[in-house]
Amino acid sequence: MADLLQFVITGITVGMVYSLIAMGFVLIWKSSGVANLALGQLVLISSWVTYAILVQAGLPPWLGVPIVIVIAFCLGWLIERFLLRPLIAQPILSLIAVTLGLSYFLDGLITFIWPWSVDALPRLFPQDTIHIGTAVVSQEYLWAAGISLLLFTALTLYFKYSRMGIAMRATADDQMAVQACGIPVTKIFSRSWMLACAMAAIGGILMASIGGIGHGLIDTGMKSFSVVILGGLDSFLGAMIAGPIIGLVENLGGGYLTALTWPGIKEVIPFIMIIIVMMIKPYGLFGEVRIERI
Amino acid sequence: MLKLNNIEVTYLNVIRVLHGVSLSVPDGSIVTLLGANGAGKSTTLKAISGLLHIEEGEVTDGSIEWDDTRIDKKSPEDIGKLGIVQALEGRRVFGHLTTEENLLVGAFNRRNRAEINRDIEMVYEYFPRLRDLRKNTAGYLSGGEQQMLVIGRAMMATPKLMMLDEPSLGLAPMLVEEIYEIIKRFNDEQKTSVLIVEQNVRVALSIAHYGYVMENGRIVLDGDAEFLKNNEDVKEFYIGLSAMGDKKNYREIKHYKRRKRWL
Repeated sequence: MADLLQFVITGITVGMVYSLIAMGFVLIWKSSGVANLALGQLVLISSWVTYAILVQAGLPPWLGVPIVIVIAFCLGWLIERFLLRPLIAQPILSLIAVTLGLSYFLDGLITFIWPWSVDALPRLFPQDTIHIGTAVVSQEYLWAAGISLLLFTALTLYFKYSRMGIAMRATADDQMAVQACGIPVTKIFSRSWMLACAMAAIGGILMASIGGIGHGLIDTGMKSFSVVILGGLDSFLGAMIAGPIIGLVENLGGGYLTALTWPGIKEVIPFIMIIIVMMIKPYGLFGEVRIERI
Repeated sequence: MLKLNNIEVTYLNVIRVLHGVSLSVPDGSIVTLLGANGAGKSTTLKAISGLLHIEEGEVTDGSIEWDDTRIDKKSPEDIGKLGIVQALEGRRVFGHLTTEENLLVGAFNRRNRAEINRDIEMVYEYFPRLRDLRKNTAGYLSGGEQQMLVIGRAMMATPKLMMLDEPSLGLAPMLVEEIYEIIKRFNDEQKTSVLIVEQNVRVALSIAHYGYVMENGRIVLDGDAEFLKNNEDVKEFYIGLSAMGDKKNYREIKHYKRRKRWL
């Protein structure tokens, strides 16, 4: 039983970081209908950038982390401006293919600049473990969960009440009508890419401070895809709830089934679960149902 | 004052849909653009609002002027900032947003929160029904309510020129009258020019000061509302009034058809 609590806490907290990254995906999907397949690579490259700034340049975290986020904003802006904007009004498949190309480009870039491919970030959070009941949790997990929850709240409020947030949701509904209202949709797209990259960066920093930098972070991106699909492509709430579910399933499955089945089952279980959910709820758990008046 | 001088519009560089359209909308007036399906009415509006660029269309000849500056090469958002707003055909509300959020999107380019709130009140003043529905999801409003919302959203931009594309589409006749009354009141009180594209000729001419009739990408007839209402051809083809009960002379019909094509 002692294990159970441990698995649950680890699962939920790691899952919340997945949620955070997934929300970046939802953001882009919601405003422009583009599936960003470079999610995992964005997570990885931002953790390497963090490494470059904190370790290679030696800046203190309180200064370095904000710089990483600013760089992520710039990266998002660049991606939108030079890769996606020229493709506006082209078939959506071309846009998605561009993000796939971007993922390979980033892969190559990472190998080029940081060829040793595995490293660790300096400690960003206090080291002491915390005892919750019988479980021992390192503080990093709790910090990650807290930050993720905070950003979820901020993002939800932003989308609900801010001028830009409302316009972003409107763009998801009807781009043409948004332009008829005199709103530059390009500005909306670039804003959503900037935010999404910043969230991938924060997710990358959190994951890297927990588990180190390495290609495993791309898998984190992949898991965020499954979070998005499980929660519904266009729902922040869905992403926020599906993340811990995936984290839980992964950790419980890994903890109890590895001995019974094969090693590596931990990595597969979330995806098996998604296939089952998709068969029952094709829009995901919280996906927006298409509004149809009859 | 909006002026179109002999504009030609081509889609995808090959399909020419407007062949020299000229019209003007004086400040503070209601002008209507009438015609059958495919005559080029909506294209004319999109040429003015700049939305044409998005649909791979272009003004290939002639010019569009707003207060003596050319706007036919400008982007939709720049044109929007000049105070020209278009309500698209077919009640395109933002379905997943609430009524009030829809109105806020209309005010996107304005910063003064107090003024925006005042104008939301103004829209509710014109369309009292929307006030009760302010928290409702727009996608589930009735057709009439959605049309009101689309017009209200256009009002939120404090336009100098409001362009409406078939506000009567698919609405019950009583509702159409009601909406047109409100448009007229809005024009009276706010001095906003209005350009209405419409197939419902009778109701459009009931509030318009001036009208143009389009066919096959050309303007074939224009004049004061009174003149158009009494024009035989308009009556026959668009209002559907003809000498009822009389025996129709087949040759006369042919004559009309021929005339229509020549007009």
